Amino acid sequence: MKYKINFNLNNEEIEHYIDPNRTLLNMIREDFDLTGAKEGCGAGECGACTVLLDGKPVNACLVLAIEVEGKDILTVEGLSPGNKLDELQISFIENAALQCGYCTPGMVMTAKALLKENNNPTEEEVKEALSGNLCRCTGYKKIIKAVMDIVEKGKH
Amino acid sequence: MEFVGKSVNRVDGIKKVTGSLKYVDDIKMHGMLYAAVKRSIYPHAKIINIDITKAKKLKGVVDIVIGKDFPKRVGLYLEDKTFLAVDKVRYRGEGVAAVVAKTEELAHKAVDLIEVEYEELPAVTSGVEGLKEDAPLVHPDLDKYKWAPIFFPKEGTNISNHYKLRKGNIDKGFENADIVIENDFYIPHVQHVPIENHSAIAKMDAEGFLTVWASCQSPFAVRQALSVAFDIPLNKLRVISPAVGGGFGGKAGTTLEGIVIPLAMRTNGKPVKLTYSREDEFVNSFVRQGLHARIKTGAKKDGKIVAVKNEFIWDGGAYTEYGVNIAKAAGYASTGPYDIENVHSDSICVYTNHPVGGPFRGFGMCEIHFAIEQNMDIVADKLNIDKVKIRKINGLKPGGVTATGEQLDVCGLQECLDEVVKDIEYYKKEESNEPNKVRAKGIAFGFKAPSMPNNVASSAIIKINEDGTLHLLTSAQDIGQGSDTVLTQIASEILSIPPEKITIKTGDTDHTPYEWQTVASRITYCAGNAIKLACEDAKNQLLELAQIKLGIYKRDLELKDGNIVSKIYPDKKVSISELSLGLSMPDGSGIHGPIIGRGSFIPPNIRDADKLTGLGDKPVAFWTFGCQGVEIEVDIETGKIKVLNVASCFDVGKVINPKLIEGQVEGAIVQGLGTALFEELILKDGKVLNPNFVDYKIPTFDDMPKMIIKFVENAEETGPFGARGIGEPSMVPAAPAIANAVYNALGIRINSLPITSEKILKALKK
Amino acid sequence: MKNFQYFKPKSLKEASEILSKHKGKAHILNGGTDLIIRMRDRIIEPEVVVDIKEIDELNSIHLNKHGELIIGACVNLNDIAHNKIVDENYDFLSKAAHMVGSSQVRNRATMVGNICNASPLADTATPLLALDAKVLVYGAEGKKEISIHDFFIWVRKTCLKIGEIVIGIKIPSYSNDILGDFQKISRRKMVDLSTVCGTVLKNGDDIRIALGAVSPTPIRLRKTEGFIKGKELTEEVIKKALEVAVSEISPIDDIRASKEYRINMTKVIIKRGLKKIRQKNLALAEG
Repeated sequence: MKYKINFNLNNEEIEHYIDPNRTLLNMIREDFDLTGAKEGCGAGECGACTVLLDGKPVNACLVLAIEVEGKDILTVEGLSPGNKLDELQISFIENAALQCGYCTPGMVMTAKALLKENNNPTEEEVKEALSGNLCRCTGYKKIIKAVMDIVEKGKH
Repeated sequence: MEFVGKSVNRVDGIKKVTGSLKYVDDIKMHGMLYAAVKRSIYPHAKIINIDITKAKKLKGVVDIVIGKDFPKRVGLYLEDKTFLAVDKVRYRGEGVAAVVAKTEELAHKAVDLIEVEYEELPAVTSGVEGLKEDAPLVHPDLDKYKWAPIFFPKEGTNISNHYKLRKGNIDKGFENADIVIENDFYIPHVQHVPIENHSAIAKMDAEGFLTVWASCQSPFAVRQALSVAFDIPLNKLRVISPAVGGGFGGKAGTTLEGIVIPLAMRTNGKPVKLTYSREDEFVNSFVRQGLHARIKTGAKKDGKIVAVKNEFIWDGGAYTEYGVNIAKAAGYASTGPYDIENVHSDSICVYTNHPVGGPFRGFGMCEIHFAIEQNMDIVADKLNIDKVKIRKINGLKPGGVTATGEQLDVCGLQECLDEVVKDIEYYKKEESNEPNKVRAKGIAFGFKAPSMPNNVASSAIIKINEDGTLHLLTSAQDIGQGSDTVLTQIASEILSIPPEKITIKTGDTDHTPYEWQTVASRITYCAGNAIKLACEDAKNQLLELAQIKLGIYKRDLELKDGNIVSKIYPDKKVSISELSLGLSMPDGSGIHGPIIGRGSFIPPNIRDADKLTGLGDKPVAFWTFGCQGVEIEVDIETGKIKVLNVASCFDVGKVINPKLIEGQVEGAIVQGLGTALFEELILKDGKVLNPNFVDYKIPTFDDMPKMIIKFVENAEETGPFGARGIGEPSMVPAAPAIANAVYNALGIRINSLPITSEKILKALKK
Repeated sequence: MKNFQYFKPKSLKEASEILSKHKGKAHILNGGTDLIIRMRDRIIEPEVVVDIKEIDELNSIHLNKHGELIIGACVNLNDIAHNKIVDENYDFLSKAAHMVGSSQVRNRATMVGNICNASPLADTATPLLALDAKVLVYGAEGKKEISIHDFFIWVRKTCLKIGEIVIGIKIPSYSNDILGDFQKISRRKMVDLSTVCGTVLKNGDDIRIALGAVSPTPIRLRKTEGFIKGKELTEEVIKKALEVAVSEISPIDDIRASKEYRINMTKVIIKRGLKKIRQKNLALAEG
């Protein structure tokens, strides 16, 4: 049986019908073609599916779609409306903070949430906040730099 | 140079940071069907019967195939595998049947309904065990298989390749030595762990044309294997690799593509998708082979090593179609980057009932260096010689000779060592602030050559558009390493056109030209050369037309900012755009037509080694040499190791893009750190006990050390702008450098990976 | 994942009734970070899922009129870790909450979920054991309190009966300042399960020790506490205490660690915990 849910997806009000056994990740990818969030493990260990739920980063693979009733969801696609890149996305490119790109959307979303909550994190705080996002390519250094560059810019 | 050597932004950056790049699993098609695989629950067993009747009756199931339906064997170097098991299973997890159904859930349900009757066979669960005379045979029909003549399988055994290297006189060498020592090392299986799991989609149209979308490093190698396995002519088989979410070797060759093809042949044109779960990725795609290494070393008191005898026994897993070449690569590199007169090496690839071994970043070099570089420190200690000095004495230098007898003209190894010793402050003792912690440093060398057939081919096409912009076609795959960007920079440099005016198109066997594989750290070199040739070809065509147009001989013309300009009279010029479709003559006629540059490349003069001795004067395209130093801190109460600092230096010939190459090395250091400290597929009776991120840990942010990354640039004569490969070599010294630091900190040798807290504590308590 | 019926009750009564009605076939959904994985892996296949997050009273952290700290069942671990009252009074509890999973997981997972899973290595269980916390339960007969010491029965088994809902955790009011220390030994520092974890705390003259991953449930080390009681924490006393501690744990060998390593880490955690307390004591005395 499908249940009706209402939620806000990337600043758009949505009314949707969904089976309760579907995850948020499955819904956004399959029903809305928002494939920026990836399934890397399906168990909340890699962070590739990170989206913001009411502004907080969550693993979309560990949230049931039906749980988002009345909530706001922001995916990586909602971060650059009209192809205007967010400053964090620009910083990722300029710092070569991505390689294969598969973890990148999740990484960007977690970092974005951190900067929204704390516009002046230390490097240690950045590492800690992002430690639920695995990257196998970069060795992480340039990702930290990409985030810290935004922090530095914010100070000026 | 205008573009080469510059930190150009990644050309694929925007589509990756916005999440708009479609990887295979992101692709949806009308009428898409889903596949699932029935897998063996035994490591070694005869298949007595497969009953699919119940599964077939399930509503929503479209069809089911079993191994017997497509029994033709394939393989890159040795044709030993089928995509689904025929007659018997050889590892726990091997596919025996595949289902295609309307939904993923139905496909899995149907898989549960397939009943397989097995007769269990005794299993081989290590390479050493597999060599025993009474070991069960994993491939009793080995003698009937086909293989490339550079490999040496032994019928009636589990040996799928025995590479021998015999140089000098080993007995004499040991006789002349002042000390002889012998050490054993073990390196377990690990997995590549790309964040993207394998995924493939196949679709057959009414004319019998098959298209496969695969997350693969090598569309042409996939096309070749599929063509052989399923008797499809190459002109009717198209392989597209739209994007690859990390490869590290795991997506080289073929894995799951051969499962979706036979299903797609039975779905009336509907596409079939199969995406691996993380557990599948750990167990049912390639893994890095396990290795038992034994090294016997003879050295003189002054530190000169005069004899090395070593034995590498590889746990190749159930199929070694690819793994045989890892044994070969380890064989010809068996001494490490040292100049040693007498060498006796045996590198043996052994079939076992373990997951399938295959290429993994380093292609055997990470594994053997864990042994070689710890052994070198042990020898130094035994001789009471400084560990840097022993590498100075024995390490390869220009004019030096490798294990196979190849004389090197260029070799920056010693420069790299000097740089690393300086950057890691090797001789500066650091004390920890905490009483229970000890700090120390360690170093290790690393070297690697592209391990590939001698005559592997690359090609490129460059098309000049009417407005002077370009399309660059190649089948080199950007698997994250940044080849799209670096190859674009090479084209930019030759044609003097900025990267933003070039669009690179890759990974479509119908539309992009041949490339053997994106493996072996060979793309900048091989594809780079092909692109360079294609651009030079286009450039030459432009100059030919410009000399007619301008009346200036072409040797006096050059390309600059989108124009062909006189070197002497800069105002005399014609734009590339104007010549893009050919030259219009004053009488209104035209000549030449569109400018299309073509480049084809095979690395020059690589020759087979002698079959009996393994000796050869030019067995590989080039060697990349380097060194890594680390500083660690060990908690002696918990055994926890924290890698604090790493210094890396490699001779890459030419840095094409500083920030991208730095990223490659940073990634390699951290991946190497993972294999050093955490990573191991824990195998028991052929079963992987930790096929998940809960119990297979890869490094995360906090594990990252501070890194100083340097490069030496001694040009590779045959490389584009002098460049050679770096992706793999940079990972090679990572684990042994840490192991050596552990010894320097605590006086204990951990001879097996990973160096867990538990092993440290155990050794300390002894 | 098998399909199921989904309910989102607004009151405890309603929730309890649904659970009772679907006896054994219904499962509570709270943070979901464990449940969803277990449903996906088909380890459990409930027919009914009862999402309790809309029940108002389960969503707050506050001090009640007796000065007891109440942590609602649906408060997530990040909110606990960052809560001022928790941090000021029981920083080791904040730390334990913070050490569970990743930031993404902690934005969903709850402390009550962590203990209801009854994993032997639940990070937040050891501070609660050391604090003599009470588990607040709502059932058919109304509300009741269960001592945390009676709550865990075995690996993944609690004393809860069908239809009962844990509505929160109550931490008693302490007149003294509590000095405590939470430690976690894991293979990887961030985002990993505990190989061994533990809390050592001091309440007045009372020293309490609780450990995770060394026995079928998280445990208090009463014998060790008894041994230490009234003694000055000299090197000798600590050394002997460690021997007593080893005698009252029963760790196992598994792929994460050997029994031997867990015994060694038990010693490290207790030793470091006791020394930290000794140090803090000195600092306070010199104050």
